[in-house]
Amino acid sequence: MENTQQSDVIVSEDVTKVYDPDGIPVNALNGINLTIQSGEFTAIVGPSGSGKTTFLNIISGLDTPTEGKVWLAGKVLSEMSGKELSDFRRDNIGFIFQAYNLIPVLTVRENVEYIMLLASVPKTERHERVSAMLTSVGLEGVEDRLPTQLSGGQQQRVAIARAVVSEPAIILADEPTANLDSKTGADLLEMMRELNTETGMTFIFSTHDPMVMESARRLITLRDGKIDSDETK
Amino acid sequence: MILKIAFRNIFRQKRRTILTALAMIVGFTLSSLFIGWSDGIYSDIISTFTRNRIGHIQVHSEDYRDRPSIYKTIRDYEPIGETIQDISGVEAWTPRIYAAGLGSVGEKSTAVQVVGVDVVRENIATQFDQKIVKGRLFSDTTLNEAVIGNKLAKILKAEEGSDFVIFSQAADGSLANDLYKIVGIVESGDDITDRTTCYLNLAAAQELFVLNGRIHEIVVIVSNINHVGRITDKIKENLNDSALEVAPWQEVAKSFYTAMKTDQQGDAIGRFVILFIVAMGVLNTVLMSVLERTREYGLLKAVGTTPVQIFYLVFCEVAIIALASIVVGAIFGTFFNYLLSVYGVTLSEEMTYGGMKFGTMHAEVNMRSLIIPTLTVFCSAMLVSLYPAIKAARILPAKAMRTH
Repeated sequence: MENTQQSDVIVSEDVTKVYDPDGIPVNALNGINLTIQSGEFTAIVGPSGSGKTTFLNIISGLDTPTEGKVWLAGKVLSEMSGKELSDFRRDNIGFIFQAYNLIPVLTVRENVEYIMLLASVPKTERHERVSAMLTSVGLEGVEDRLPTQLSGGQQQRVAIARAVVSEPAIILADEPTANLDSKTGADLLEMMRELNTETGMTFIFSTHDPMVMESARRLITLRDGKIDSDETK
Repeated sequence: MILKIAFRNIFRQKRRTILTALAMIVGFTLSSLFIGWSDGIYSDIISTFTRNRIGHIQVHSEDYRDRPSIYKTIRDYEPIGETIQDISGVEAWTPRIYAAGLGSVGEKSTAVQVVGVDVVRENIATQFDQKIVKGRLFSDTTLNEAVIGNKLAKILKAEEGSDFVIFSQAADGSLANDLYKIVGIVESGDDITDRTTCYLNLAAAQELFVLNGRIHEIVVIVSNINHVGRITDKIKENLNDSALEVAPWQEVAKSFYTAMKTDQQGDAIGRFVILFIVAMGVLNTVLMSVLERTREYGLLKAVGTTPVQIFYLVFCEVAIIALASIVVGAIFGTFFNYLLSVYGVTLSEEMTYGGMKFGTMHAEVNMRSLIIPTLTVFCSAMLVSLYPAIKAARILPAKAMRTH
């Protein structure tokens, strides 16, 4: 795409995804055209099966589109090798998942540190940033615990800390509050809003949660794999 | 960090780790025992064969080995023997005379191999005196004494004190015959030798065959059989005599050596079967482990772990388990081989190999019984982990993270 702007973090062009698990093709996405700009706090909503998670997976390079292209931070994802994609995700994208998805054998500190280790950040800097991040998400005192020794809210805080600690340009959050009680969910949402405001990171949520929808400054509704509406508040 | 994850995964899945390790430990121990046992038996066979019969190295007159003849002799053997004795690693040497003839006791006659031995040297080299099962060795007072194999005694219905007549041909072309008194019966453990051989004092044999101080063979015994090649070369170099042929036992008894090597190759099939079972066990557990952790690998890839790092993670886990299993297997293998080398296993019936009888078999503790299982267990574990490691490295993150 010739006319992507400097501030366009994600551009999807005619993105289509067809699943064919049992020989019966299912269109998960039908020609999605979308541009997301740097610093947005956007929620992608829609009923189950509307294609929210599939779209997040494709714009992060976790999955490949059947047709169409995705530009992420100016690069075409489908043109990258497996290693390039891994490196690119490590350097540019932070993930927050509904099921937290922490590495079970690593402690809280190690989980947060892991991505920076992959990026070869020097030890001293790594430790300073992890400590600061754990303090900012309210996880002091549990640094040496394993994920299984934490509550759901604490695990999601670790996931947020892991996602943002290396200061990626984009945070993709797939139903981040779905497994949390409303108070914890609200706290974490507030934390992410603050991060968005303070650091300018782009947050993209896939959600059913009305609280997230209210907080989002842009609301994209998907239905049957197509954009049904796109509202900016 | 990948190594740290690998370590922790090993302890996290204790049951699976134990199963994988057990397959490797049992495989290593069995393989080590197999080698130790087989090497022990072959060592016993070689030791008996060489010590009792042919020695470790032989020196002959040129062409004697290919076409033995009473005329192909070694002159002035004493200085040759002294030169050999001076070589490092040589334990002893002894001269021998060989001739074929007819042996008779009373009306019984049979073909015999007459061996002339220097009793003093033969005792040092091959513990000849310890093979006497009845009677004694030659006295210093007379040359007309003979010692015969126990089976030959049975054939000739001879016993200690029997008159024994030898007919043969002397080196000067004359008829060689003389009467001897049987003073001893020997049992060497070598069936063929015991069935055919009669021994005379070296001087008596020289007199009978008119050899005038000459001999047919110098048998050399070395302190470490594994150094035979080096010592053979050194003897050749030091003697520097083209009229003499120096050969290690592997050349002297080529057919025996070849048969033994073929036997050993047969053992390799047994080892391969053990390792194949180990490899299948490891493949199964590692593959299951990878399948169970598909979601985790998907996550690791999602957050930026490269396919090579995922591959390395699976590989490291198997390598760590393999190394630990090898250490444990080596302890077990060495322990059992040691027990078997000390106590051995007594067979209900004696086993015959190459004409030699063995009643008790011993294992051997050696480096081969550690190095071969180490290499094969480690390599086979690494080889079979390639597939699961590649499978893990190629996982599609989005698909993997949908699995439970």
